[in-house]
Amino acid sequence: MITSPICDMLGIPYPVFQGGMAWIADGKLAAAVSNAGGLGIISAMNANAEYVREQIRLAKSLTDKPFGVNIMLMSPFAADCAKVCAEEKPAVVTTGAGSAAPYIQMWKDAGIKVVPVIASVAMAKQSERAGADAVIAEGQESGGHIGELTTMALVPQVVDAVKIPVLAAGGIGDGRGIAAALMLGAKGVQMGTRFLVAKECGVHQNYKDMVLSAKDISTQVTGRRFGGNTCRGIKNSFTRNFVKMEYAPDATPGSVADLGAGSLRKAAVDGDVKEGSVLAGQIAGMVSREQTCEEILTEIMQETEACLKGAAAWVK
Amino acid sequence: MVKEKIIAMLAEATDTDASEITLETKFADLGIDSLDMTEMAMDLEDEFGIEFTPSPELNTVGKLIEAVEKLAAEA
Repeated sequence: MITSPICDMLGIPYPVFQGGMAWIADGKLAAAVSNAGGLGIISAMNANAEYVREQIRLAKSLTDKPFGVNIMLMSPFAADCAKVCAEEKPAVVTTGAGSAAPYIQMWKDAGIKVVPVIASVAMAKQSERAGADAVIAEGQESGGHIGELTTMALVPQVVDAVKIPVLAAGGIGDGRGIAAALMLGAKGVQMGTRFLVAKECGVHQNYKDMVLSAKDISTQVTGRRFGGNTCRGIKNSFTRNFVKMEYAPDATPGSVADLGAGSLRKAAVDGDVKEGSVLAGQIAGMVSREQTCEEILTEIMQETEACLKGAAAWVK
Repeated sequence: MVKEKIIAMLAEATDTDASEITLETKFADLGIDSLDMTEMAMDLEDEFGIEFTPSPELNTVGKLIEAVEKLAAEA
């Protein structure tokens, strides 16, 4: 059995968070992951406070296990959703796309563990100073919004820089990845893409099929030229047009700022996987079948254990 | 002092001529995102002996300077 300070902190059997994927990670998926022993996470994305309250209550009705909510700090409703979390008290709040500092005290006062997603040592240090309980160091292998560093380079540097536990995210799709993350000093992991194709995940079937048939080189990064909104997704008409437009000689940060607006919903909800944004990580090529959350978690934890036990064979 | 230092830091970080950076310049137009801003916050902390957490409202050079000047005066 694998155990870690993250399991002790949250009272969960497996140190595995399910990534808060916008338009995908709802109360139903979060509850399924938590029931299977991981930490399910509801994405508050750009939704309003009422949606978030509804999803938290839905998850509560489906599980008595701890689960989390991801607050996207760039959302116009971030402050309202932050308040809903303080009222509804999910076990964990993870944050992305900005500094969680303004809300951390309010959440801690509500007994919530705060775990910001960070992409650099500086962000990790700032989060620790602001009172975060742990951080998720996310490399650019992951899907959705990404930073510059890879998981392999980022995780050990963050582990060295802060005293709070670090979870690794980005590029982790099975037990080998989890074992490797633990070797880098992480105390747990967050996985998005693998849970995206879970049977309990309500994302449009076309979206799942794109991920299931993806290869190692199937993802493409958009928004890298001007930064600020850099995203990884599966290569399609949408990403190709985006890249063409952002690298056009007359392109400006302003001219590409709104290219992605509404595109994720188009793919995840409406199933338009040509003109919509099919966000997924580089491990999409490793994910080839739909499983239940329980099957996924049981399998990856068995693999992790086998990897770690097998590692002794390298030492003479 | 704070103003000159911040503009010099921005000019160096973005390879822009300092004369082109005004108080109204938006960070987005300089290609500075939240990651870059966090790095700069750490540098500003060292430089002025302050504790500074960037926020999305500080989206122009002028607003950043004002916030740092206030913190530096209190330090």
